[in-house]
Amino acid sequence: MSLFTNNKTQYRLPRRDSIVLGGLSAFGLGMSDLFAARRSGDTNTAKHCILIWLDGGPSHLEMFDPKPNAPIEVRGPLESIATSIPGIRVNECLTGTAGIMNEIALIRSVTSPLGEHNFGTHYLLTGHKPTPALEYPAICSTVAQLTGQTGVLPPNIAIPRFSNTISGNGFLPPATQPFAVGGNPQRLDFKVRDLNYYRGLNLTRVDRRKTLVNAFDQFTATRDAGVDGLDPDLERAFNLLTSDDAKSAFNLSEESEDLRNRYGMGDSIGQSCLLARRLIQRGVPFVTVNSDGWDTHSNINALKRRYATDRNAKLPSFDRAFSALITDLKERGMLDDTLVVVMGEFGRTPKINANAGRDHWPRVFSIAMAGGSVPGGQVYGSSNLLGEFPHDNPVTPSDIAATVYTLLGIDPTHELHTNDGRPVRITPDTAKVINTLIG
Amino acid sequence: MLLTQNRVFIITCLRCILYCASIPLLANTVVAKDSSLDFENDIVAIFTKAGCNAGECHGAAIGRGGFKLSLYGGNPAADFEAIVNKLQGRRINLSKPEQSLLLLKPTEYVSHEGGAIFDMNSESARRIKQWISQGAKRVTQRKLVSIVVRPARIYTEQLGTTHQISVNANYSDGSTRNVSDWAVLEPEDNSAVESNNTTGSLTVLRRGRHIVTVRYLTIVRPIEIMVPLNSESNTEVPPVYNYIDTEINKTLQTLRIKHSAQATDGEFIRRISLHLTGRLPSAKYAKEFISSSDEEKRSKAIDTLLGSEEFNIYWSHVFSELLRIRPQALGPEGASSYFDWLSDRIRANANYKQIVTELLLSTGDAFEHGPANYYRTITDPRRQAEFTSELLMGTRLRCANCHNHPLDHWTQNDYHGLAAIFAQLDISQSVKINLDGTTIHPVTLEPAIAKIPAGKAIQTGATDPRKEFAQWLTADNNPYFAKAIVNRLWKQMMGRGLVEPVDDFRSTNPATHPLLMDALAQEFVTTNYNIKGLLKTIALSSAYQRSSAANESNKYDNKFYSHTLRTPLQPAVHADATSDVLQVAEQYGEQPLGTRAIELLNPVTQSRTLDILGRCGREDSCETGNNASSGLTKTLHFFNGGFLNSRISHTQGRLLELMQKDIPSLDIIIEYYLAAYSRFPTTEEVRFWTTQLKEQPDANQRQEFLEDFIWGLLTSKDFTTNH
Repeated sequence: MSLFTNNKTQYRLPRRDSIVLGGLSAFGLGMSDLFAARRSGDTNTAKHCILIWLDGGPSHLEMFDPKPNAPIEVRGPLESIATSIPGIRVNECLTGTAGIMNEIALIRSVTSPLGEHNFGTHYLLTGHKPTPALEYPAICSTVAQLTGQTGVLPPNIAIPRFSNTISGNGFLPPATQPFAVGGNPQRLDFKVRDLNYYRGLNLTRVDRRKTLVNAFDQFTATRDAGVDGLDPDLERAFNLLTSDDAKSAFNLSEESEDLRNRYGMGDSIGQSCLLARRLIQRGVPFVTVNSDGWDTHSNINALKRRYATDRNAKLPSFDRAFSALITDLKERGMLDDTLVVVMGEFGRTPKINANAGRDHWPRVFSIAMAGGSVPGGQVYGSSNLLGEFPHDNPVTPSDIAATVYTLLGIDPTHELHTNDGRPVRITPDTAKVINTLIG
Repeated sequence: MLLTQNRVFIITCLRCILYCASIPLLANTVVAKDSSLDFENDIVAIFTKAGCNAGECHGAAIGRGGFKLSLYGGNPAADFEAIVNKLQGRRINLSKPEQSLLLLKPTEYVSHEGGAIFDMNSESARRIKQWISQGAKRVTQRKLVSIVVRPARIYTEQLGTTHQISVNANYSDGSTRNVSDWAVLEPEDNSAVESNNTTGSLTVLRRGRHIVTVRYLTIVRPIEIMVPLNSESNTEVPPVYNYIDTEINKTLQTLRIKHSAQATDGEFIRRISLHLTGRLPSAKYAKEFISSSDEEKRSKAIDTLLGSEEFNIYWSHVFSELLRIRPQALGPEGASSYFDWLSDRIRANANYKQIVTELLLSTGDAFEHGPANYYRTITDPRRQAEFTSELLMGTRLRCANCHNHPLDHWTQNDYHGLAAIFAQLDISQSVKINLDGTTIHPVTLEPAIAKIPAGKAIQTGATDPRKEFAQWLTADNNPYFAKAIVNRLWKQMMGRGLVEPVDDFRSTNPATHPLLMDALAQEFVTTNYNIKGLLKTIALSSAYQRSSAANESNKYDNKFYSHTLRTPLQPAVHADATSDVLQVAEQYGEQPLGTRAIELLNPVTQSRTLDILGRCGREDSCETGNNASSGLTKTLHFFNGGFLNSRISHTQGRLLELMQKDIPSLDIIIEYYLAAYSRFPTTEEVRFWTTQLKEQPDANQRQEFLEDFIWGLLTSKDFTTNH
C-alpha cells in the first residue's frame, strides 16, 4: 500500500483533463501509460484477473465451507473430503480443487445484508451497495478504465456474457463495459459473431465507413456541447475486426483435445475458462466467466448429479474447470501474473428447505482466490458451526473489492470521476484490504 | 439468448426477499396519563435514531443475533414483545435496570456484533434506564399523527453552509413536541449533502437539487435543497407558450441554468413524429414542413399526427408494453383479443379512467373479452397487487409485503388487503368472481381482510370487491391515479419523468417540479382523462420545443429541461426507422414481410436485429431498460452483420431507386438527410460531401461511396437518438 501513497499527488490530473483522458483511453492513448509506471515498480501485483462468477448464489455449505459435524438438515446430503492442506475440507465433488488447495485461499466469512439477486450482484461485482443516486461501475470496468486498452482485444471481456442485472460500466464510459463474446464456447462451431467482413466489404470500405460516422458526429458535436464527436466503440470494433491475430484468440480449436477435455466439455464453464486463459495470454486485463444455474432453491443433490451419467452437474463441472485453469496457468508460468477469483452474490440458507434445497443467505458465504501473489493453502475467517454467520474476521464485499484491486496493483482509495466531475472512490471509505491475502 | 429477461434490474424491496417472520398480535395499548416514558413515542424512537431497527440490523426480516425489531419501529407491539418477553425476559432487568441486556448491548458492555451504538451516559441510555425503572410498561399517552419539518426547502448560494433542521411531532391528543433530537436525516446522495445526526443539521456539499429524507419513527418527509449551478443570474428567460413553461422556467431561474435555443423546424418535426407515431416523417413531408411559411404549422402538425392511424398503432404498442401483453402468458387468442380491445380503445381516444375501469372490473372468457386478460397477465393475487400499484398508482406497494414500507406510509395491511381483493377471482381462460377466494396475511396467518390501500375495509358480502377499489382508484381526487399516467406520458414526450422512477411515487421521492405535476394531473382530470389532449399540451410547450443542442453551461442538466434530452431511439422504433430510410422491410420471425417491429405482439419473435438493439420481454416492467447488447457488440454487428449491410443496396431500396432515376449524387445525399434527419444538410455539410464526391469519378465508385455514406448516416448519433 505504501507504494501508492504518493499516487494521488503524483497522478492527480486537473479534473477536466482526466475526463478527457478517460474518454481517450479507449484508443490506447489514455491513462494506461500513467498506470504502467505505477505498476512497473511492483513485481508482486497481478496483471490480469479472471473472475469466475457463479450466478444465482452458490452454496457455501456445498462448496468451500462444508459442515460435516452439523445436523443433517444443515450438513445436507453431500459429503466433504480432505484436501492437500491438512485441516481444510471441501465438498466431495471438488476433488480437483482439493488436490491443489496449496494454491488456493478460501475466505469463509464474507457477509452482506443483501439477499436479493440484483442487489447482491451489484454489491459483489462493484464493491458498493446499490443506491439510487449513482450507478457504480463493476470491478472489471474500473480495471478497464484504469489500465486502458492494452491491445486490440477489449480490456474487459465476459464469457459468454456479463450479468443481466447491471450494465457493468456504471458511470464510467460505455467503452469500459464488458464485451460479451456470446454463444456457447463448448460448442464445436463456437465463434464470436460479426468479426468477419460482410460479403463485398473490405478493409478500405470499413475504414471509410468509420471515418464517415466520425464526420457526421463531429458535425453534431460542433452544434451540441453534450455530444462527443468520437464514438470509442466504433474505434474498438474497427481495431478488433481488422486484426486476425486478435480474432484468433477466440478460436478454441487451436487447443489440443486433451487440454479441452481437462477443462471439461459438459457444462459451458469448462471451455469458458479455457477461453479466458487464451484471452489473458494475449494481454486482456480482466475476463469474467459467467456460470448460470447456482440459484438452487430445490434439490441440492442436483449440484452433484441429476442422472447417473450426468457430466453437466454444476459442482463437478466447476471443479474440472477451476482446477484445470489453475493447473494450466501454473504450468505456463502465468499464475503469478493472474489473479483468479471465484464468487457469487451470496450463499444459501444453512437449513435445507422443504424442497430439499437452500434459499438465499447473504449473512455468511465463501469466496476463493488463487494466483497473483495470494498465498495459497489458507483459510481466512470462518463461519459459525452451522454456517449461519461469521464466527471471526467478517469480510464485506467492499473488503473483497479492495483486496482484489490491491492484488492487481490498484490503490483501492483511488478516485474516479462521474461525467459531471463528481469524485467517487473505487471502494467505499469503509473497505479494508485483507492483508493476509496479499503475498 | 438475449430474449429472456429473467432478472431485469428493477429496484425491488430488498428486505422482502428474506423470510417474513410471523409476529404475534398483542393486547391493545394501554393509554395512561402519567409522566412515565411512553414506549411507542420515546423508546422506539431511540432504536430508530440509532439505526437498531434498520434493515441491516435488528430490523431485518429475520432479525439479527436472535433479536428482531420491526423495521423502523413499524410494529411497536411486536417490539415490546421482543424486548420485554422474548429470551425469557433477559433483555430487561427490572431490579437492576442498568444491568439490562437492552442497555449492555448497545453500549457494548457485553459484546455486540454492531459495536458500541451509544454511551452509557447518553440521553438514549438514560431514557431506556428510566423506562425500565418505571416498570418497562407499554404505556402510551398519545398517538403520533404527523411531523412538521422546518425548513422543508433550503435555498443557498454557497457550498459548505450548514442548516439546522427542526422536527415537530403532532399527536392525536392535539399536543405537539419538538422531536428534532430523535429524527434521522438521510440524504439521498451522501456526496451532495452531509448529515450530522448528532446535531440534527445538514451541510451542502454540491450544487444542484438534492433531497434529504427526514424520518421520525414511521413517518418520513422530504427536504428539498437547491443550490444554483452558476454564480451569474440568467439574463434571458425561455419563452412561455403555456403553463408548463412557467414552472420549468422558475426552476431554471432558481438554479441559474442557461437554456438552449428553440428547436428548428426540422428538429421539431422529427422529434414530434417519433414521439407521437414512433416513426420518422417521410422525406417529402419533412421538406414540405420546413418550407411552409404557415405560422400555425407546428400546432397543425401536432393535430395531424394525433389524428393519424400511425398514432393509434404506435400507442397501442406503448400501452401493450405497459400492460405486458404477451402470448406466452395469455395464449395467442388471449393476447390478440386483449390487443384488439386495447387498439380499439386507443383509436377511439377513450377516456383513460374508463379504460382502467373496464380493465379492473372485467370478467368472462378472456379469448372473447379482451380486458379480462388483465388478471391473466399475472395470476397470483399478491403479484397482481404489486403490478396494479406500480402500473395504476405509480407506487411500489411490493415493499409492504413483508413489512410496512420503510419510505412511505403503506402497511402490510394495505398490501395484503389489495391482494385479498384480487384473491376473490377464479382465473382460467375465463375470469370469474369467487367470493370464497382468500390470501393469507403473513402476520396474522389468517385470510387477509380485503381493503382499499390506506383506506377502509371492503364490506363482506360485496358482490364484486373490485368495484369499491376501482371507484376509489379512479376517483377524480385519488392522489395517485392521474399522476401516475400523466408522469408516464410526460416521460414519453420529455425523456424523463417528473418523478423517477415512474413507478416510485412517494413523499420522499418528490417530483422535480411538484406544482407542474399537480397542474398537469389537474388538466388531465378536468379534460376527462384525455390522453391525446395531454400529449398536445406538452407538445405545445416551449420546453418541449427547445433544441437538444446543449451549451457548455447546461450540458450536464438531465432533469430541468434547459435543453431537450437526447434519448436513444427505442429498439423497435430504431429498427423501423432504419427500414423506412432504406425503404426495405425487415423480416421478423414468421410474420408477413412488411410487419413493423412495433406491431409485434410476441416479444420473443425471432430477430437478430432486436437481439442486438434490445427488446422488452414483457415479463417485467421495461421502464428501466431494454436489455440491449453492449456498444461493442452492437457496433460489430453494424459493421459486419446483416442489419444494415443486407439492405443498403437492396434492389428495391431507396438508393437503387434514386440511382436508376439518374438523380445526381449530391441530391441523393440530400434526400437521405431528409429521410433520416428530417432536415437539409447545412452549407458546411454540403461542402464536405461535394468534396468527397469529387474523389469518386466513376459510377461504381460513386455507388460504393453512397453505400458508405448511408451506413455512416444510419450509425451516427443524430440518427440513433431522438433529439
